[in-house]
Amino acid sequence: MQRRSLFRRAFDRPMTSMEKYLLAIILVYIVIVAVKNPQFFSLETLFDMIRNGSGIMILALGVLVVLISGGIDVSFTAIAIVSGYTSVRLMKVLGFDNLLFVILVAVVIGAALGSINALLIHFFRLPTLIVTLGTASAFHGLMAIVLGTKTYTAIDVPQSMLDFGSTSLLTISAERSQYSLSVFFLIVLACIVLTWFLLYRTMLGRTVFAIGSNQESASRIGISLLRTKLFVYCYSGFLSGLMGIIYFSGLSYINPVSLIGTELMIIAAVVIGGAKLTGGEGTILGAVLGIIIVQLFQSTLVFLGLGASWNNLFFGSVLMVSLGVMYYRQRQLNKRSLVFSSN
Amino acid sequence: MRSLRNLVLRDKELAVLVFMTACVILVLYITLGQRLFSPTGLQSMSVQVSEFGFLALAMAIAMLTGGIDLSVAAAASLAGIMAALVMSGQIIPVTDENSGILFALGIVAALVTGLLCGLLNGFLIAKISVPPILATLSTMILFAGIGMAITTGQSVPVLVPSFAQLSTSAVGNIPIIFIMMVAAFLIVAFVLGRTRLGRRIYLFGENEVALRFSGVRSERVILMSYALIGILVGIAGIIMTSRANSMRVGVGDSYLLQAILVVVLAGFNPFGGKGRIISLAVGLVLLQLLSTAFNALMFSPYAKNFVWGAILLLVMVLNHYVRHWRLRQPPEKPSPPASIDEEESRPSTILVSDR
Repeated sequence: MQRRSLFRRAFDRPMTSMEKYLLAIILVYIVIVAVKNPQFFSLETLFDMIRNGSGIMILALGVLVVLISGGIDVSFTAIAIVSGYTSVRLMKVLGFDNLLFVILVAVVIGAALGSINALLIHFFRLPTLIVTLGTASAFHGLMAIVLGTKTYTAIDVPQSMLDFGSTSLLTISAERSQYSLSVFFLIVLACIVLTWFLLYRTMLGRTVFAIGSNQESASRIGISLLRTKLFVYCYSGFLSGLMGIIYFSGLSYINPVSLIGTELMIIAAVVIGGAKLTGGEGTILGAVLGIIIVQLFQSTLVFLGLGASWNNLFFGSVLMVSLGVMYYRQRQLNKRSLVFSSN
Repeated sequence: MRSLRNLVLRDKELAVLVFMTACVILVLYITLGQRLFSPTGLQSMSVQVSEFGFLALAMAIAMLTGGIDLSVAAAASLAGIMAALVMSGQIIPVTDENSGILFALGIVAALVTGLLCGLLNGFLIAKISVPPILATLSTMILFAGIGMAITTGQSVPVLVPSFAQLSTSAVGNIPIIFIMMVAAFLIVAFVLGRTRLGRRIYLFGENEVALRFSGVRSERVILMSYALIGILVGIAGIIMTSRANSMRVGVGDSYLLQAILVVVLAGFNPFGGKGRIISLAVGLVLLQLLSTAFNALMFSPYAKNFVWGAILLLVMVLNHYVRHWRLRQPPEKPSPPASIDEEESRPSTILVSDR
């Protein structure tokens, strides 16, 4: 029997080159930071990063599914804010305080908004980027017109959400302070497993890969494009709705104009993990590694003595170089096998 | 009469656009009247439109090649920052004697920055084969990052006094920057319509593989178009800096959506190869009229955003129907089934890879 590496046994596939490359960058970066500043190596940093990164990790899973289906969605941050804010407002109007209710409403609104995206994209055969650019402004603008943009500070945030945000799985007390692993970690894990299951263990997941690889042949072998697209964009909306509540709970501050504008950053993080814009390719591990890189740069440049203003420069360069490497190899491959595709 | 009918039928999308603009002008004239169409009102509109017009022109060229340039706003603000830095006295102290030289240096700095940004995009897209959306996404973050690292997010003031006059002075009643924008539109229209490069840009957007197989160095076409985009973006940066008399990171970010909106509104096909500069000019007029009207009616920025998004979607859906209507036009032939329509409207490839 052939000896298989730990990775192969765990994931049932070899590691992609993009994942190896990202892992190497992360390790090298961590070593550099740790050498410069040993304080970095603590559970506190890790727990902090998990807490801060959990929201965008959930969004990234939605982005990944959309990218695999061959589309690009820039409306997910707007959907997260709209569904999160609307459900909180609804709960305030109804006058009670229940976490499950607010999550349920947010998720339903998110999925509904996602289905609007799907219908527009499917029935009018429009480029997904431009449709979702339009719906992002339309959704968020409509919410701002109807509900206004009043912010809620910790006093006004529903108690159940505050409790949710401060629930911890595991608390470690050090001499001076104590830090805890947020319950968000569990939710992120659940989302990752759910996404993995849907993508790799269901027929629906196979159809997502199929329409991403080649929409024409997918429809010729009898895959319903409408159903698959509805699933893809509803699932992305569903995750966004969930993230909206997690985001507000984690901050214990509700600002309906935050988060908008970070969508391209999150897409970039997923793309760096090896998801091809042309569809059919992408791995969950790659997306996770991409988000880790973004999170690392965001929270640890301080340890290197660089301000937060260097964040975009670092991330932009890593993104550009990785894309360059990824597509240059594809180009060489295409040249050798005489493929002249026009993309 | 007949010639008018021919004119309308030759470009239906342009005719629809002109009709819409005329309607909007009529409605606005009745409701807002003098507030909008007074000489000062028109003058301020023409200043506002020129800042944004260059970015729209840049985006239009990117879309003609079948790409998109997400980095236009970030590159424009980086170019503006470079110009502002030269003229801020931080590098060379500003005195009365050298302010003229600094003025010129600032403009050169902005143009060179814009050109380099454009060339970087072109290089990534043409020589490395990165899809335009991703290439410009990464450079968008990179350009914003460079600007942020240089300025740490602070606004860079311009100390050369004559620079602000660039956006305020006028020939007769027409602002200079508006004349610059009209000139840029004419030049780009000439390049696209009458030169070899322009023809090749359209061909590239229509079918890249066919262009390459007809012996054209298609990569050079892309490099040239993104260089052109870079110069336009550099000029936009100069105008933005001149109007605010300072520059900081993220100033023109809201223009990105609007630039895509106006280009799509003008009937440019996002898949490439189709679109006319004259339609873009009409679309720009329409967008500026609406924007000014919203300001006069005291719309909140969110309400404006909603309207932009809604218009974008509406126009895309309408264009879809116009296109399908045209495909069904010849009444003698039976209309082909929808799946074949779909195939014909997409650029075909010789050997389709699994991508």
